[in-house]
Amino acid sequence: MSATTESIPLLSPDLLAKLERLELVSRKVFRGRMKGERRSKRKGQSVEFADFRNYVAGDDLRLIDWNLYARLDQLFLKLFQEEEDLHVYALIDCSESMNFGTPTKYHVAKQMAAALGYIGLCRADRVSVQALGDQGRRAPVLRGRSGLWKMLQYLESLESGDNVSLHDAVKDFSLRNSGTGVVVLITDLMDKSGYEAALRMLVGRRMDVYVMHILSPEEIDPPIRGDRRLIDSEDGDETEITINNYVLERYKQTLQSFLSSVKHFCSRRSIAYLPVRTDQPVDDVMTRYLRKRGVVR
Amino acid sequence: MNWISTLLPWQWALFAAVPIGIILLYFLKLRREPVEIPSTYLWSRTVEDLHVNSLFQRIRQNLLLFLQLLAVALAAFALLRPGVQGEATSQGRKVFLLDASASMMATDAGEERNRFELARKMIREQIDAMEERETAMLVTFSDRAEVLQSFTSDRGRLRSALERAQVTNRPTDIIGALEAADGLANPRRSSTTGDENDVQVADPMPADLLIYSDGGFRDVSDFNVGNLVPTYLKVGSDQSRNVAITAFSADRNVEKPGDAQAFATIVNFGTGAETFNISLYVDGAWRESESLTLAPGEETGLTFSLAGQEDAASLEMRLESPASGASRDQPFDDDLTIDNFAYAGLRPLRTVSVLVVTEGNKPLEIGLTTESAAKICIADFQSPSYLQTPEYQARAEAGLDDLILYDRCRPKSLPSTNTFFIGALPSDEWSWASEPGQTILVDVDRTHPMMQYLELFSLLIFEGRSVKGPTGTRELVGADNGTVLALAPRDGYQDLVLGFEIVTTGEDGTPQTNTNWYAERSWPVFLLNVLRHLAGAADATAAPSFLPGDTVRLRVESQIEAVDIARGSGTPESIRTGNSGSVEFVDSEMPGSYRVTAGEKLVDLFSINLFSRLESQIQPRETFELGYETIETAGMIETRKEYWRWLLGAVLLILAVEWWLYNRRIA
Repeated sequence: MSATTESIPLLSPDLLAKLERLELVSRKVFRGRMKGERRSKRKGQSVEFADFRNYVAGDDLRLIDWNLYARLDQLFLKLFQEEEDLHVYALIDCSESMNFGTPTKYHVAKQMAAALGYIGLCRADRVSVQALGDQGRRAPVLRGRSGLWKMLQYLESLESGDNVSLHDAVKDFSLRNSGTGVVVLITDLMDKSGYEAALRMLVGRRMDVYVMHILSPEEIDPPIRGDRRLIDSEDGDETEITINNYVLERYKQTLQSFLSSVKHFCSRRSIAYLPVRTDQPVDDVMTRYLRKRGVVR
Repeated sequence: MNWISTLLPWQWALFAAVPIGIILLYFLKLRREPVEIPSTYLWSRTVEDLHVNSLFQRIRQNLLLFLQLLAVALAAFALLRPGVQGEATSQGRKVFLLDASASMMATDAGEERNRFELARKMIREQIDAMEERETAMLVTFSDRAEVLQSFTSDRGRLRSALERAQVTNRPTDIIGALEAADGLANPRRSSTTGDENDVQVADPMPADLLIYSDGGFRDVSDFNVGNLVPTYLKVGSDQSRNVAITAFSADRNVEKPGDAQAFATIVNFGTGAETFNISLYVDGAWRESESLTLAPGEETGLTFSLAGQEDAASLEMRLESPASGASRDQPFDDDLTIDNFAYAGLRPLRTVSVLVVTEGNKPLEIGLTTESAAKICIADFQSPSYLQTPEYQARAEAGLDDLILYDRCRPKSLPSTNTFFIGALPSDEWSWASEPGQTILVDVDRTHPMMQYLELFSLLIFEGRSVKGPTGTRELVGADNGTVLALAPRDGYQDLVLGFEIVTTGEDGTPQTNTNWYAERSWPVFLLNVLRHLAGAADATAAPSFLPGDTVRLRVESQIEAVDIARGSGTPESIRTGNSGSVEFVDSEMPGSYRVTAGEKLVDLFSINLFSRLESQIQPRETFELGYETIETAGMIETRKEYWRWLLGAVLLILAVEWWLYNRRIA
């Protein structure tokens, strides 16, 4: 990881201003914990009409629709949608493989998490930005704009190199967080044991899952040529290969088929798949790309 | 397909290290550079994909190595010189006979400078195509044969011998070269056939006899090819052009010695009509020209008159280009140049000294003192008793006289000069071949200069005998009882013997005539011929001509110790005169006029000319006779087809492909 990428602030003031106008879109309606700004499954007090129901003894008389009583001579209660908060989880893959590229994928992942978290904080959502693996255990749960600095502090304290498999990390996360909500998984999906089990687990917990797939240009079009011994940064696995145009072509085909298999897997499970290149400016990703993809509005 | 290794075993061992080195370098090169990447996840899958058709991939990976090894293998093949033998020799032994005669200078040899160079190239190809086990020898032949390289399998020595070979200006005689080849192929037996003790002195060595020539030589009749397998390789084109001066001489007018005439014979040996100028130069200055057109095969004679030519002169005749203007005096351009020039000399007038030993011979006296004879001769008449005097002894030994004429007498020992015996025999080598009797002449050899202008068949001879001389005796006049006038060589001199007397002495001691010859017109003419050609006076007018390469033998006045001989105005060569003024000159390779001088004085003249119709007839022969075999031309002998150039081309191509692939892989 280069010092230059580290020194770049996770969120610039300009971006913060833009993010304040955005809102995370949840494709599902969840039951929140506190009064918030989100439509909830609960009926409660808001301006949005939900339903009628028969009056039973003990109901609040203020909710009786007197106009209806006048017409039908029966007592009905007028029910309104309750507005509650939304649980937003941003999960950052901290494996060593994230620590590549200029800027590193890890840095971009933290920027994305911070931006998404800030959007959630601005909308009074329950935001938890956490790293996958052990570092996730000390992640704070935040609400309100005031939580921004705490969130940033946590993010900056994170260190890469936590080489835990995606499945184990997601399982650990699921055990620790029983609630439902929006989960944005920010990862490069480079897990030799596969990403499928992890995503299935999140979907199984009825989360609204977003997969933000971070790819560096070096992975899309590798600049290496010739006779090389490739060393895996996570497990030290070695692959001897003579990289020529043909092999490179094959690599690109493999990458494309991998991406399309991920996309296919996600679309079949209603997971929003968002490939992101590290050379895309965060501003651009947040204000244009994610908006276009319907992640924020 | 066969192979000729160009490397020695230890060189092959070194060569074998090259592919080993390449393989080692390849493995060294494959110490791959480690690179850390985020994950080998995708790369592993890529490699797994590649491994699906792993054999192909393995080949792809090692393609460069394979190409390099292939290039080395092809280079090794090229070094083995694979080829197809065009014409396999069954003998394993070759004799190259290279014609180096003048006709091989003809320029009708395609790209090569002349026929000789073409023949040399053909032989070089044969040498290059020789296999290790084969041996060859190289013999050149012109008027003599020269073994430039005896049997060897060392191609380098053969090549250097071939480089040494040079074309000459000489005529052709193939027999010497054939004998040189024959000596090895057909060893002689120790004794005559049929002898039971006959043993063969050596094993016969059969050989291919490759004759590179244009066939410009006489058929060889007395030669047995035996174990030789002759192949005639014709050199030269069938469409050649050549005009040649085949004869050129100059002589003084007998009547008026101050006037001279030059005679020339010109023949067109080419296949088309030729037009040219023929010019006569006297002492280098142009004198006369004539324009001629000759049809193919046509021959013509020319005569030029040279008035007031009393001094010695060098004459040159040239064929010149017919064009006028700027290109005038340009040499005539045909395929053979050497016969476009001819040289002759006119000697200065001089007298000869003749000693006549006779008891008295009036016809002889009158014949030697005629006006014409007196101009060229100083005759000294002595009686036979003079032979006993010391003065004669000294005179005879020193060879002061140009001719000694013995009339019915004979000295104890023959003098160091030419002699003419009338009615007597010079020595015991001679003998009478018939009893004395009336003699009728039946044959006269008119080709001999001494017999020219003579009409002898009306002679009456009362008593004559035929003579028999030593080996080499030539009959000049034959009679019914045998030879009556004979000429024989003797140690560089000549003896002329007449079998009948002119004047006899009767029983009463009075002279009587034995023949009516003295009354004939032919008598003074004969004596004049004798003075000219036997005493050497004839040489006083026309200088002799020799063939290139001949040994020139001249006689000069015996008191001259050394002479200088120079060609044209070239650097003279000094030669000491031998016994009784004989001079031998061997450096006679170049045609031209040669002047023999002693101090400032011109002593003699001679010329070297290639007057050989066989050489000038440059149309190559298709066949010739060798013993009882007719040898036909084999055209061009098919040489070994070599493939090493193609292999080297393939090596270069493979290296180019390898380089391209390498760059493509790196790029």
